[in-house]
Amino acid sequence: MQAAPSALPAPDRVLDTSGTLCPWPIVETARAVKAMADGAVLLVVATDAGIATDMPMWCKATRHEHLATWRDGPAWKSLVRKRARRP
Amino acid sequence: MRKARAIALISGGLDSTLALALMQRLGAEIKAVNFYTGFCVTETQRRKGGRPDGTVPQNEALRAAADLEVDIEYVDVSGRAYLDMLVHPRYGYGKNANPCVDCRIFMMRKAREIMEREGADLVFTGEVLGQRPKSQRRDTLWVIERESGLQGRLLRPLSARLLPPTRAEQEGLVDRERLLDISGRSRLRQMALAREWGVTGWPQPAGGCCYLTDESFGRKFFDLLGGREALGRERRLEQEDVVLLSTGRHFRLSARAKLIVGRTEVENALLERHVEGRARLAARDVNGPVALVEGEPTWEERVLAARIVARYGQGRAAPAVAVEWREGELVECYEVPPEADEARIEAMRI
Repeated sequence: MQAAPSALPAPDRVLDTSGTLCPWPIVETARAVKAMADGAVLLVVATDAGIATDMPMWCKATRHEHLATWRDGPAWKSLVRKRARRP
Repeated sequence: MRKARAIALISGGLDSTLALALMQRLGAEIKAVNFYTGFCVTETQRRKGGRPDGTVPQNEALRAAADLEVDIEYVDVSGRAYLDMLVHPRYGYGKNANPCVDCRIFMMRKAREIMEREGADLVFTGEVLGQRPKSQRRDTLWVIERESGLQGRLLRPLSARLLPPTRAEQEGLVDRERLLDISGRSRLRQMALAREWGVTGWPQPAGGCCYLTDESFGRKFFDLLGGREALGRERRLEQEDVVLLSTGRHFRLSARAKLIVGRTEVENALLERHVEGRARLAARDVNGPVALVEGEPTWEERVLAARIVARYGQGRAAPAVAVEWREGELVECYEVPPEADEARIEAMRI
């Protein structure tokens, strides 16, 4: 987790998972990323604080790039860049 | 020889993490799956803001997959079919409300679907022969394999050399000689292997993340089903019951009425979301818990519920507390003395 980032890429898509709880923000993220092109950036908005630990772990497991997760008022935001699957 | 393609069922506990690490060392291409049942203690604690000591548990399946860099998919199995299985298990319950054999069969059937969808060769788990008294006996491991339609496709890497070889072993996709022969309840070998392989961060104590194996939860579970029958309703579990069973203090007022009293602000907020079809109680003029009454209480039971709600609020030492009863359009207020008879309260506690 880090402070609100200043120089991060603009997202290609925004996914609002507000109101859902663990593990649904990650489930919805996985679904959204699957439908995106390689290199595209997804902004995930969540109200479940668990995303601060879950998103970096999910990105490590699935080898997508975790760009940042930060708190923005009552919500949490995560930026993820889709990486192609290994052969 | 090509690599084995495998579906791993992981909870993030020591055994499933080790099985994952072992299969990875054997060169398998692995996709991990974690099933969401709605009964995970850790998930529920996270939803309620953390443990009583203030720490917030992490998602162990996700942590294990991240540590070993294995792709993971969550699969929701918490729907109608799963709930019906819990109420009518073919192979019965364990010590509490845990129909572990039926639950494993249910999950393995889902795993088989995923295996077929992904074109994988096998499904593997962290099950250890003889570790659990009901679901991990030799005979029940076989029942689970047969009933799930995974005959010859279900590998238990930690105990594989004590079990008949799977198809993947026979075909040479998995080297049986490098699989393990662990059995029994001791986890000493697993802990030694974890040290040797650098597997860290698994939860302590190992296992036990399911509410259905909890004695207190089990009492509430069977009480709920009995209460439905007493009201002439179907013996059936709904998804919101799963939330309510792990929330608040539960009291059986009579065969036909039950009271749930929130213990924290988070639980009070959670109960507020399940008011429909129930009566909502709360002290009117002092801070206190939100409570719900289910069923068909008599007048005396309404007053009793109000007295219990008053006892858990800031007016507990007052001679009388105004407790508001809201039920649909109906709003009533009962001026009651807080219930002071602890033995009576304990006798009603589920």
